[in-house]
Amino acid sequence: MNAMPFALGRRSFLRQLGGGFGAVALTDLLARGGELAPGSAPAGRRVHRPKARRVIQLFMNGGVSPMDTFDPKPELSRLHGQKLGPKEKPEGQTGDCGALMKSPFEFRQYGQCGRWVSSLFPHVAQRVDDLAFLMAMTTKTSVHGPGSYMMNTGFLLPGFPCLGAWVSYALGNLADNLPTFVVLPDPRGLPYNQRGNFSAGFLPAVHQATVYEGAIHDLFPKERFGFARTSETDGLALLQKLNRSHAAQDPTDSRLEARVTASELAAKMQLSAPEAFDLSRESATLRALYGLDQKHTEDFGRRCLLARRLAERGVRFVQVWSGPQGAVNNWDNHGSIPKELPPMAASVDQPIAGLLLDLKQRGMLDDTLVIWTTEFGRTPFAQGGDGRDHNGGTFVTWLAGGGVQGGSTHGHSDAWGWKTASGTTWCYDLHATILHLLGLDHTQLTWRHNGLDRRLTDVHGRVLHEILA
Amino acid sequence: MLINTWLRFSILLLALRGSAAPIDDAFFRDRIEPILQQRCFECHSHTAGKMKGSLTLDSRSGWVNGGKSGAALVPGQPEASRLIQAIRRGDPDTAMPPKNPLSAGEIQLLEDWILGGAPDPRIAVVSKLSSTDWWSLRPLRTGVVPKTAGQAHTHPIDGFLSVPANQSGLRPGRSATARTVLRRLYFDLHGLAPLPEELRAFQGEWDATPADSSDAREQHEQRVMERWADRLLAHPRYGERWARHWFDTIHFADTHGFEHDRIRQNAWRYRDYVIAAFNADIPWDRFVREQLAVDVFYPDQPQRTPALGFLGAGPYDQSAAGTAPMAFEVTDRDDLIVQTMAAFTSTTAGCARCHDHKFDPIPQRDYYALAAVFAGVGKGDIAFDSDPAVGRARARWQLLAVAAEKTNRVVLESAEAAEITAAWMATQIEPAVWKILSPTEFTSAGGATLTARDDGSVLSGGKRPEKETLTLFFKDTATQLTAIRLEVMTDDSLPHRGPGRYDNGNLHLSEFELWLTEGKLDPRRIALRRAFSDFDQEGWTISHSLDGSEGTAWGIHPRVGEAHRAVFVLTETLTVPATARLKVVVKQLHGRGHVIGRARIAVTPDDAERAVILPDAVVAALSIPEAQRNESQRLALATHAVRTRARVELSRLPPIQQVYAAGRDVSRHGERASVPTPREIRVLRRGELSLPGEIAQPGALECVTALPPRFAGEAMPEESQRRAALADWIASPDNPLTWRSIANRVWHYHFGRGLADSPNDLGRMGNPPAYPELLDWLAADFRDHGGSLKRLHRMIVTSATFRTAEATPPRRNRLDAESFRDTVLNCAGRLDSTMGGPAVMHFTLGPGIQVTPTVDYSAHDWDNPGAGRRSIYRMVYRNIEDPFMAALDFPDAAQLAPTRPFSTSPLQALALWNDDFVLRLSERFGDRLASMAADSADRVRAAVRLVWLRDPTEEELHDLTSYSAQHGLAALGRVLFNSDEFLFVD
Repeated sequence: MNAMPFALGRRSFLRQLGGGFGAVALTDLLARGGELAPGSAPAGRRVHRPKARRVIQLFMNGGVSPMDTFDPKPELSRLHGQKLGPKEKPEGQTGDCGALMKSPFEFRQYGQCGRWVSSLFPHVAQRVDDLAFLMAMTTKTSVHGPGSYMMNTGFLLPGFPCLGAWVSYALGNLADNLPTFVVLPDPRGLPYNQRGNFSAGFLPAVHQATVYEGAIHDLFPKERFGFARTSETDGLALLQKLNRSHAAQDPTDSRLEARVTASELAAKMQLSAPEAFDLSRESATLRALYGLDQKHTEDFGRRCLLARRLAERGVRFVQVWSGPQGAVNNWDNHGSIPKELPPMAASVDQPIAGLLLDLKQRGMLDDTLVIWTTEFGRTPFAQGGDGRDHNGGTFVTWLAGGGVQGGSTHGHSDAWGWKTASGTTWCYDLHATILHLLGLDHTQLTWRHNGLDRRLTDVHGRVLHEILA
Repeated sequence: MLINTWLRFSILLLALRGSAAPIDDAFFRDRIEPILQQRCFECHSHTAGKMKGSLTLDSRSGWVNGGKSGAALVPGQPEASRLIQAIRRGDPDTAMPPKNPLSAGEIQLLEDWILGGAPDPRIAVVSKLSSTDWWSLRPLRTGVVPKTAGQAHTHPIDGFLSVPANQSGLRPGRSATARTVLRRLYFDLHGLAPLPEELRAFQGEWDATPADSSDAREQHEQRVMERWADRLLAHPRYGERWARHWFDTIHFADTHGFEHDRIRQNAWRYRDYVIAAFNADIPWDRFVREQLAVDVFYPDQPQRTPALGFLGAGPYDQSAAGTAPMAFEVTDRDDLIVQTMAAFTSTTAGCARCHDHKFDPIPQRDYYALAAVFAGVGKGDIAFDSDPAVGRARARWQLLAVAAEKTNRVVLESAEAAEITAAWMATQIEPAVWKILSPTEFTSAGGATLTARDDGSVLSGGKRPEKETLTLFFKDTATQLTAIRLEVMTDDSLPHRGPGRYDNGNLHLSEFELWLTEGKLDPRRIALRRAFSDFDQEGWTISHSLDGSEGTAWGIHPRVGEAHRAVFVLTETLTVPATARLKVVVKQLHGRGHVIGRARIAVTPDDAERAVILPDAVVAALSIPEAQRNESQRLALATHAVRTRARVELSRLPPIQQVYAAGRDVSRHGERASVPTPREIRVLRRGELSLPGEIAQPGALECVTALPPRFAGEAMPEESQRRAALADWIASPDNPLTWRSIANRVWHYHFGRGLADSPNDLGRMGNPPAYPELLDWLAADFRDHGGSLKRLHRMIVTSATFRTAEATPPRRNRLDAESFRDTVLNCAGRLDSTMGGPAVMHFTLGPGIQVTPTVDYSAHDWDNPGAGRRSIYRMVYRNIEDPFMAALDFPDAAQLAPTRPFSTSPLQALALWNDDFVLRLSERFGDRLASMAADSADRVRAAVRLVWLRDPTEEELHDLTSYSAQHGLAALGRVLFNSDEFLFVD
């Protein structure tokens, strides 16, 4: 029996599975049938030279108020207290529109670019010349669940792959001893949609996020299984011997070879991951840079530092969350902007600035993309006393690092910060731009599912050249 | 004016000279498009996502169709073109662009362009429906099975696959070993490996007849396979296996998903329905009809109601339903449309939501016709009785209860009501005799000073507590108890003479409890069925004293200064032993001093009907001799008698059951929700709510030309009729999509790949069938033989192609998550074959920050009862996946998953190697081996037989024995469960 035609047949079959579009990335082959060894260099999807090789995404859960952080609205100061909003409750808001409300925080200009930043972000303000601001982000909804899905997956409904999963599918990993896509959720709780925000959707499970909640699930056996620990080395050696001899019976079956390789890589991950997640060897100065020496910044700072360590060691995509779901400890400040927003901002301000500076000092900011996002903005109208309701109309996102023009901006919100006025930017445009920076054409990154070549950007998306270096 | 005209003229000349070219496509590209892009696209293009006034200028059709006010321009007539009027800014309201006017030169260019006929090469893909001449839409060809030369008996599938035209990659061939064939059969039909003894029995039959000719050998093998297929298909494990495939297809899960990912406590009844339906092999058309409209097709079989769980399979965004109801409704219905059409007809109807389908002949109006089908349902729990007799009784008494509430004279004057009234009157000959009890002990939790009076009452004095719980103990009570009475009495020491101690004489009774204490046993709470009072303060009815809530209470304001009484009827007659004590707890927890001033307890052994407190009108009517009662008095008695009886009868029925589904009337976490009449559905231009078009009538797809695409000439007012009509449309023998869809799906699950390898899409974006003749033959054969899935399975697994040793690539793969888990349990002797019932949690549940609980899979104890149940009974948490099952490619339960990938990754290797489940079951497996044999080599032999279904080779025996000698049998199990020989089906 000739092995070659069989192997070729299998490959053409896999292409068929993928839907007949261009080249199928290696990780994809691996995912669908174990055609090739995991950890090999991925190929095929890049269309141009990438500016960024890895991504760290900081997701502020709940909907950050733009007019209290990065989008000053003098008009709100002028009209403060006047009831000029719609009488009927708009779709997606949790309550009626109150009077227009000025920001309780002072804004100042920073950097050579002269960005306005409120008193809530004194540390990030020092880095504005590295940041590119999208000042007129908009979305289709003002409800947390669909809003979080939209910003993470480009769709309002669950079940679609998130940005990190798409990047994993497109590019695979930079290292073979760590997961490709790692999520660091807020230890106080998962965000809205729970793990749905990190789902690989219909993409194969290999692109699912590895969610780090103090440990990587199943990286090691639990203590109580003593036999598993003592037999580890001999057991793996025996397993590899058995699997190799089984594979030898049918040398054409690449799935079996892929399993052998996967086990070897698993062992490498067991060796490497604990070191990657161990912050103890970082210097006190560096820990202080991220705010690890202060109670209110310690947690987010730790996760920012972890993100840098993982990125440095070859993890392709790290997502760091600020704030759990629910009514408190997040950016969903219905109750009181002056009371609820300052502690949230303070908990991330120094860690973010520390991350940016650390990346820069290590030269990593040149090819690491940092993105700061949230699911939507908040109303210029007061809710209750001095809170703000959900507003999908306009909000702010910023990017920094590989390929991004520091100090640039794109778009404007209207005079109240209620809707966009110009340069409207959707998640599609943001995602298209991120993929572009990674060397990918967002219209070419597809997966055939239920009769459609699905894209992260659906049928939309424009690369935002305005903010590219 | 003159100057202006002159200026324009000269610019025109310049422009013409400058271009020195005709007004053509190139002119448009060079001169016009840049203006549009720079000055108009921001508000009028798809790329900007903005279409102000519904106008787009990024394609020719954009300005031809125009916006809300009509076509944007008239070729050849600049003066008549709205676009020119707008950019000239004659009317400030329509001046465009809103901020920075176009320059005179730009305006001139646009005028010239229009004058020149407005050539525009940007022809968008004109919305033209694709042809219905497509393989999956053609009628099924029944076809003739190709004969293979020289073979007397050919299985139909092998006949088809033997012809040279077969492009499917599958072909009959030399049979694999008995072990391989039987593993295939078991995993395919049961999702479990065979047991060693099953393989032994099979092997015996398989080897029984030596091959004297290849024909005879083939016939023998086919007969053996027929017997084993029948055996496996008759076993309930078959339904458990195939139900899971259906749940993948329709994204069924036990929780909502989205922000508030709540558990659906009643989703499991649909899961059990599907398992039972597969096991009963109900015809496919009936399966379709039951899931879409069992309430219409089988109204006398309420026990089949769980079939409607199909409609509630998908996610539910509880948050959006409350705060963004309009958008919610559209997306929620969209999910149901997409699910239904994908699952039953393998079409992508959802692609026609915003525009006509780009590839398949599905116009946008079809999508909205389908939306109209589901316009009258909402997701939630639907109540039903699994016993039809109970269902009938409940319906009867509910009808009577409603008649009594609404004083429906027709019902209340019927013979049935007369009979009920007469029976009740017979209980009212004498009122109950009450025995007043004097307490032997009493305490005030609130710190009041209690005094016993000679009449058996207890007076509350001293400091008035904010809140109070009065506890009274009684001895020597009556031996039989049917009801207990609380009197609240007046006293001169109380404000306004009481009976309460609040400033205005009021009181609030939060909860009333009766307890029985016998000897040293723990006090037993006595259930109270119902409470009656002689008067209720508005909104503070006596029922609040039994509702289990301390936040609600009974009050008597404004009728203060007089005594009141409340009677509590026991659920069952209580026999009080002579030595027992009664304890009465009177909770008054509303606060602000609303406590009872003076209380007295009495009991009765008489018929509870005589003990209840009757409404005044009933008391008055009873006091008049029967012959003298007028019509309204008779009605008052009938109303009371019917109401009382209906309540009693309803309370005696077993509790009603619920299934999570969708329907007109549902309840959501205790709250009732109803869609009284179907919502009006309009075709939405570009799918946008702000652009409603014509009203859509319920219907299905026009491209199935054998069937009428719309269900009725006029709107169907009853939503269930719409669902039934869609079910009929789908289940029709003339709907070729339905039969191809299911035949292809079944093939897919047997061979790892459909004959058309996109089981949810048989349209132009799907993969065309490698062998359409075979699919058609299978589909028609399935349809024409009662839609029997079991027959179809039998057909497939008895083919030589199924048995072949040729390892056709896609055909076999790694065990899916459930097959792995269930087989490991079986090898360890821990598989629990209990079927049905509420979902088993493979996690611990904790309170969440908001509605969604915390779900911890790593804290699950695999020794818990139920942990050995088959995976189909696992609770599938939509947004909080089980990391172990996900590592083995269990699909995201928010998406339709007609196929599962089979991935291989380091994280999966870690999960298989280190997960608690694998390790704990390895220990159990080790325990089992130890009990099976004493000798270490025999234990290894037993292990290999259980897991690999064969004997070990000498080398394996040596390696495994020395390994288990050093590390134990659990470690051996771990290695075997991770071995590829176990993990893969050849």
